[in-house]
Amino acid sequence: MTVPIEHWPALLMATDAPALPTPSVMQLWLRLGWSVVLAWMGVLAMGRLAPVSARQGAWQLTVAGLLAMSVWLPGPYSPAYWLGLAFQAPSVVTALLCAAVLVERLSPSSVAQGAATAPNRLKTAFAFTGVVVGWALLLDTFALLPLQVYAWGNSAAAVGLLVVVAFAVLGGAAQALRARTWVVPMALLVFAALRLPTGNVWDAVLDPWLWVALHVHLGRRVLRTFW
Amino acid sequence: MALMLQSPSPPALRRLLFALVASCAILGLDIWQRPLVTAQASAQWPADTAVPDLTRLQVQAGGEIPMPAGMAAAHASSLLPMPSGDAASLSVFWFSGDRESGPNVQIAASQFDKSTQQWSPARFVVNRFVMAEQLGYGLRRLGNPVAWLDGGGRVHLFVVATGWGGWAASRVLHLRQSSPGRGLAELAFEPVRVLPLSWLWNTSFLVRNAPLALVDGGMVLPVHFELGIKYPTALRFDNAGGYRGMVRVSQRLHLLQPSLVMQSAHAWLAFMRDERPQGKVTVARTTDAGMHWSDLPDLTLDNPDAAVAGLGLSEGQMLLAHNSSIASRGTLDLSRSADGRDWTLVKTLERGGHDDEYSYPAMAWLDGSLWVTYTVDRHRIAWQRLAAAPSAGTKP
Repeated sequence: MTVPIEHWPALLMATDAPALPTPSVMQLWLRLGWSVVLAWMGVLAMGRLAPVSARQGAWQLTVAGLLAMSVWLPGPYSPAYWLGLAFQAPSVVTALLCAAVLVERLSPSSVAQGAATAPNRLKTAFAFTGVVVGWALLLDTFALLPLQVYAWGNSAAAVGLLVVVAFAVLGGAAQALRARTWVVPMALLVFAALRLPTGNVWDAVLDPWLWVALHVHLGRRVLRTFW
Repeated sequence: MALMLQSPSPPALRRLLFALVASCAILGLDIWQRPLVTAQASAQWPADTAVPDLTRLQVQAGGEIPMPAGMAAAHASSLLPMPSGDAASLSVFWFSGDRESGPNVQIAASQFDKSTQQWSPARFVVNRFVMAEQLGYGLRRLGNPVAWLDGGGRVHLFVVATGWGGWAASRVLHLRQSSPGRGLAELAFEPVRVLPLSWLWNTSFLVRNAPLALVDGGMVLPVHFELGIKYPTALRFDNAGGYRGMVRVSQRLHLLQPSLVMQSAHAWLAFMRDERPQGKVTVARTTDAGMHWSDLPDLTLDNPDAAVAGLGLSEGQMLLAHNSSIASRGTLDLSRSADGRDWTLVKTLERGGHDDEYSYPAMAWLDGSLWVTYTVDRHRIAWQRLAAAPSAGTKP
């Protein structure tokens, strides 16, 4: 144990005691995270663009595997080299979501065994929370809020709040849901253990691309509800 | 846990218990990983001997620092006083290449040798391709190195490294000395990380000015955000170079490149560049060692959207290097102040025409002398050493 237990209350609120990931773990996550995201993008693209005959599991698995492996090429030959240059590493939630969808797509039997899908209101609650948090972080980035929201993500209190919110949202529907339902609590567990991707908890649960995707998800839900 | 789940309690209660246990486990794991909370910061004066009368500062030596062979551009120098046992008294770092923002820009360094009293031939110490290989992702361009010596005597460099885009897509790359020694011939760096400063793909923070040293061996590093708007922020580091958090310095959105100056252990000023036309040197103040900052009225000193460098030497003795003319970086002045509000010219360090540029000053205090480096026309780095001239009645 690095911190005596009597110091824990002070540590809970402190924003000047972040634990950051080691460089080697960060480098591993850069490649692992993008390999999962690219594999998901490949399967997604195949499902929409490829001929029906090529949408079978074997084809999808091949494409996903090739894209995932390409990330492990050295230096500028790796897509992670360029994706990291532009966007750094994906959030843990993004990578876990992509992984969960990949598993569902590539192994439909596991979904059948997993029984019920997540209720719409649960997805909407997570999406809405993510959109609101993302707006707060964006406004904070441009110093348009009196609070320093991103800096607060260095505190254990922010982790605690996110854990409570995640379990509260899950609370009403925690039975027999798909793996992706547990993505946020799992991401927080990964963050607590490995500090990925940056040591700031906001980067673990939400990245700007996920935030954009949540807007699209919410927008489609609103359209379906009212039109 | 298994026993709990098999108990005959209602499902809702079981879920609640599971959520409670899982939450505590995650939070406990998070707190377990964290370092101890830092004590309140306490700044350290750079001079360990009595500071002379600053009104008597005179140039003792000066010139140009040797450039790397064949490089036409040089900008943004950073001075680092070296420990007393080293062969060099000072190191200077800057970025150099064919042109500013060019693909071959690297971080160059030179050291002032105590025995020869000369700057050594420059050498590149940071290359973006080498750093990119070690980080695992690309860096488009490098700039603005800022050097610091940690509590263990290792040199750290904080460097602007851009992603996709111009300077506004910058990130602050933290590098640490990887070579056994600090001598220029062997000096080498490895990346620690890109500092996590912004949610927006970790853009757009830049570093420029020297850190404020703390008594505990740590430091406070001033940085600024500059995507569309510009605001200053202060980062705290422990004595091993571990990042310990960030605090916004000003609520105003046109201030950049803060330079931290101590008035006392816990009262500090941040002097800043003003990007507005007809701008003045701007200032913010903290009285609780950087936990909270408040904006102060602008100084009367003009600021042509140009970097300033400040230094607090002892209580009531502050220096500021600044471009003093409107719409030009052709004049570089050194001013002094007792309170940080009213400034008096000590000496004009350089005076050129409207199109000349003497900019981006850096200062360090070493062995009773003030060292100043600055960019000349974006092509060279010049230096001056100033010390107090003997007063009229003093015997030699």
